[in-house]
Amino acid sequence: MAEHYSSFERKGSRWLLQRVTAVFLVGVLAFHFLLLHFVNHAAEITLAGTTARMSSIGYFVTMVLFLVTATFHGVNGVYNALINQGLDGTQKQAVKWVLVVASVLLVAQGTRVALHMNGFL
Amino acid sequence: MSQSYNRGTVEDFGRWRDFSAGMWAWIFHKFTGWVLVGYLFTHIAVLSTAIQGKDLYNGTLGGLEALLVVRFLEVGLLAVAVFHILNGLRLLFVDLGVGLEAQDKSFYASMVLTGAIVVASIPTFLGGKLV
Repeated sequence: MAEHYSSFERKGSRWLLQRVTAVFLVGVLAFHFLLLHFVNHAAEITLAGTTARMSSIGYFVTMVLFLVTATFHGVNGVYNALINQGLDGTQKQAVKWVLVVASVLLVAQGTRVALHMNGFL
Repeated sequence: MSQSYNRGTVEDFGRWRDFSAGMWAWIFHKFTGWVLVGYLFTHIAVLSTAIQGKDLYNGTLGGLEALLVVRFLEVGLLAVAVFHILNGLRLLFVDLGVGLEAQDKSFYASMVLTGAIVVASIPTFLGGKLV
């Protein structure tokens, strides 16, 4: 019987949130690729088409949730990978806060872009 | 019960012949994760051209899509994303204790399915107007 092993300590909110966001992202990332490469070819994307899609409240909310969950999942994954490599002490704290600030800036900028895309700003 | 698992040093590439399927899955999942999070920041930077209006947005996206190298990079991104999704599903099942005895086979299945989806998608990704 294989033993359980994971890059994460199997406890706490970061472990659980990494899996909850993974379930959401599996569906939304596949949807994003299908919509913007197969339904609409990437080479034919214009701001008018983007605005039309983002004007749908359901699509807009899905994309903002996509941004937030992908940012958390990605940055939390990077943080854990670095901890796996032995990051500890002051360096760990410094990296943590750099990643937190980078995440907040990314979500803020992404939300700002989304609000421009749907014509709100 | 959860317990730590000594994978040795990843940077010790000299022992790659000794890696098991689960070790390769772990390495590929890390690699594709790093690529995807890097791309996320780049993606938002490119889409930020929408703030300056349609001329810059349409010109930037159209200009990038007109480059053959960008189309190939998109195929690479698709490969990375599809593997991360499929292996991620595998990891979710393993975390739930489902299919532990077949975790090596499910890794090989992830690889094969990723290859099939990427090959089938190449005509769509490379199609359309190029410079």
